[in-house]
Order: sequence, then structure tokens, then C-alpha cells
Amino acid sequence: MVRLLDLGLTKVSSIIFDMASLAENTVSKAIKSYMEDDTSTKNQIFESSAKLRFLQDEVSELCIELIARFQPVATDLRYIKSCMELSYVFSRFGRYAYDIITVLEILGPLELCDKSSVMRMSKLVLEMMDLGISALRLRDNSILAKIYEMEEMVDLLYRKSTRESSQIVIANNYSDNRCNISTALILKYLERICDHACYIADSVNYIETGMASPRR
Amino acid sequence: MDNLDNTLKSSIKDEIDDVSKYNKTKAETDTTEDGISPSIKAEIERNFDSEIKIENPKLSIQSLKAWFSGKLALKGINLDVKENCVTALIGPSGCGKTTLLRCINRMHDLTPNATADGKIILDDLNIYDKQSDPVLIKRRMGMVFQKPNPFPTMSIYDNVAAGLKLNGIKDKNLIKDIVHDSLKGAALWEEVKNDLDKPGISLSGGQQQRLCIARALAMQPEILLMDEPTSALDPIASSKIEELMNDLKKNLTVIIVTHNMQQAARVSDYTAFMYLGELIEFGPTDQIFKYPKKELTERYISGKFG
Repeated sequence: MVRLLDLGLTKVSSIIFDMASLAENTVSKAIKSYMEDDTSTKNQIFESSAKLRFLQDEVSELCIELIARFQPVATDLRYIKSCMELSYVFSRFGRYAYDIITVLEILGPLELCDKSSVMRMSKLVLEMMDLGISALRLRDNSILAKIYEMEEMVDLLYRKSTRESSQIVIANNYSDNRCNISTALILKYLERICDHACYIADSVNYIETGMASPRR
Repeated sequence: MDNLDNTLKSSIKDEIDDVSKYNKTKAETDTTEDGISPSIKAEIERNFDSEIKIENPKLSIQSLKAWFSGKLALKGINLDVKENCVTALIGPSGCGKTTLLRCINRMHDLTPNATADGKIILDDLNIYDKQSDPVLIKRRMGMVFQKPNPFPTMSIYDNVAAGLKLNGIKDKNLIKDIVHDSLKGAALWEEVKNDLDKPGISLSGGQQQRLCIARALAMQPEILLMDEPTSALDPIASSKIEELMNDLKKNLTVIIVTHNMQQAARVSDYTAFMYLGELIEFGPTDQIFKYPKKELTERYISGKFG
């Protein structure tokens, strides 16, 4: 016999994975738009971000209802707590994607800027998001170490790129304040996305082992 | 992936290293396979000891076996009960919770064809020692049952005083004081102080149960055994008993059998999960309900079997 709680958990899971796909696509789209200097996607990204925010509230309501009605314990309780946190993470992904496209809209066009540092960091960040979501889908702890390792890489890259863009002016290269500002902002958003990808890993670890990861 | 160290200007790299040195200790920067630093991981693991050790237990149950007509009902239970705490016994019907409770105050002996073997140490006294007097042991342990069972022909006052009178206490003032204190202790005094002569059975179910608790408290027990004390009560009466348990544990040790998982989670400090006569898992209630170690415990408390 199916537990009534399981029906609710299935519904929460379904929304969480919808949010995961939408968040991944939205961030990818924002990065692609930045790379291609294309602001036409702004409305789509805004709508996706708003939808993620709406779904976050829906997950939160559902989770509270499940706690109130079924008083879940153990893995069920940890899963519900994690879903509330994950929905926030995915909602933040949407918000950062929107922030990225907004930078392009305000400071663009940026086609002459050197985007290599953003390119490099975004590859890592997108991979981290993908790994986090896979770990969640498969409830696979073995992937987590790689995500944490990549986070250190992103942090290092972020510091290096930020310092370089503020200190080093290469002669004869195209130089524009808008490039430096947009790069700095987008790197910051990517660094935040990276941290949130780690929160996904933390949640997977918490669901599976009950151990809370240290705050980063 | 890029080798970032090679691409860093040495001055910047040094600066990053320099900052890192102040931000994190070595223990924090070293990480294990799962990316958690060993110092923090050790801290976390310390909090999840599966073998919980109770220092100076009030009651220590050691290799306890119990039989009904030759059929083994308890299969070697080892359990330490901490003083001034509530310990909940949970598990599906027939797992031996009530049998264990009845062994603790030697009520099991009263059942025809029932036997028990092992040790139950109350402070320094093995209550299954041949020298031990079951009457004296029962006096040190009060018991409250599933259904409220006040003496039907007695007044509220006499229900509480009955045990004292049976034990030869004749000082009326002393009895009066103890009745007052016991009813107060059972959070019933304010509701019955003007009706002490009324029959005990004239009270509501919840009040009757608190009267039974007062009756047990009158004997000034060290341990209070409660066998599903709220299963026959409505939610309001149940919550009063639960609040009462929280107060009572300041002065005595409570062991409660309950089928209500949420009640166990709410009221107890420690929880023991039993299954088919065995103690499967024992630990702090918080741990049992959030991070059970055993798959069987997880399945039971989550309602995946019952």
C-alpha cells in the first residue's frame, strides 16, 4: 500500500526536478546570451526566473503541508527539509541568470570585450550545476567530492580574474570600463551560482547521511 | 582543466596564499573524500555514535529474557535508563514493549507461566535477585496503564490516599499533605480541590488518568512506568499528560510505552525501538527520529511497516 506521505513526496520531487531543468536551461541561456551579445532572450529569462520563484513558494507550501499532516521523520523529514532548501537554490539560479542578462542590457553591447574568463568559469559552473542535479536525481554521494573540488577551482578563478581585471591593463588591447564592470559582475554571479551548486551537494549529503555540511 | 597556478602572476598567487593562511587553519583546509574537513567531520561523527553509553544509569537492564509459557518474548535486552529523563519504548504490537515494562517492576512474575531471566539493576539493587522483595520494588516504581483505572468506589481523595493507608500510614495530616502534593504534581489539584469527596470515576477520562498518576506519585516512586497512558484520551487530555511528563521528570525517571511516534518524539529524551522481542536501536530521541542508524528503525518510524 502506498503511504499517503509518498504521494506528497512524489509531487514535491516532481516540482523540484522541473525547477532543476528550468534553472539549468535559464542559466545556460543567460550565459549564451552574454557570449553572443544577444539581449532578445531577456523576457524569456525573466519569465523563467519568475516561474522559479513561484515554484519555490509552491514547494515551500507543499512541504509545510506534508509536515503538518504527516509529521514525517528520518529520511522523509530530511528530504522535505532539503527540498525547501533546494527550491531556494533553484530560484536563486533563476535570479542570477536574470542578473546576467540585465548586465548585458545595461552595459552592452559588449562584443569587443574579452570574455574568456567568464567563458572559462561558466563552463565549470554549468558542469557543477549538472553534477549537483545528477547527484540529487541518483542520490549519489560519490559525485559530491568532485563538486567541492570544482568549487575551489571556481573560487580561485574568481579571485584571479577579478584581481587581473582590476590590475592589469594590456597595451594595445581593447579596453573599456564596461568590459571590466560587466566581467566583474558576471563573475560574481557565477561564483554565487557555484556556491549554490555546492548547496545541492550539501543537500544530497544531508538526505543520504543526515550529516550537515559545514557552512561555506 | 587549466592549471591555474601556472597562469597566476606570482604576486597575486602569493597574496591569495597569504590571505588563505589567515582565513583557514590547516585542519580546515584539509578535506576528506567527501569534501568535508576532518575536524568538522569528526565533530559530526561524534554526535552520531550508534553505541550510546549512559553514565550512571538509574536502571540498567542486562541480558533480559522473558518467556510466556515457554515462548521467548524478550530475547536478551540490554538497555540503560538515564535518571530524570523520559525514555520511550516504541515498536509494533507484540514486540515486547509492555512485557519489558512489566518485567521492570516485576509484574511479569504475576502472569501465570511467565518467567524471566537476566538482570535489572535499580541503582545498586538487582531486582531479580532472589533476596529482592517484589513489594518493595513495586513501591519504588509507580505504574500508569492504558485505561484510567481509579478505584471505582473511592472518592478522589481516597484514591490518592489508598496506597499510603495500605502501607500503614495513619497520620491524617501527613496523608492530607501527600494527597495535596500528589494532586498538584499530577496537575489536577486546581480542578478537583473543591470536589475531593466526589467519586474518582466522576472525573473525565483525562482527569481520571491524572488521578491515577497522582495515586502513583503518592507513593513517592523513583521511576514512573507509563503503558500507553494517553491512548484512550482526547488530544487535549493527552497534551496535558505530555506536559505533565515533562514536569515529572525533574523529580523522577519516566519510562513510557507508546504507539504514537509523534508523542515519543515530543516527550522523550531517549527512545528505544524494539522489534520481535529485540532491542533494535536505542539513542537520543532527536537522533532516532532524524537520523536513525538502522534501516528497520527508519522503516518503522516512517510508517513503512507496522
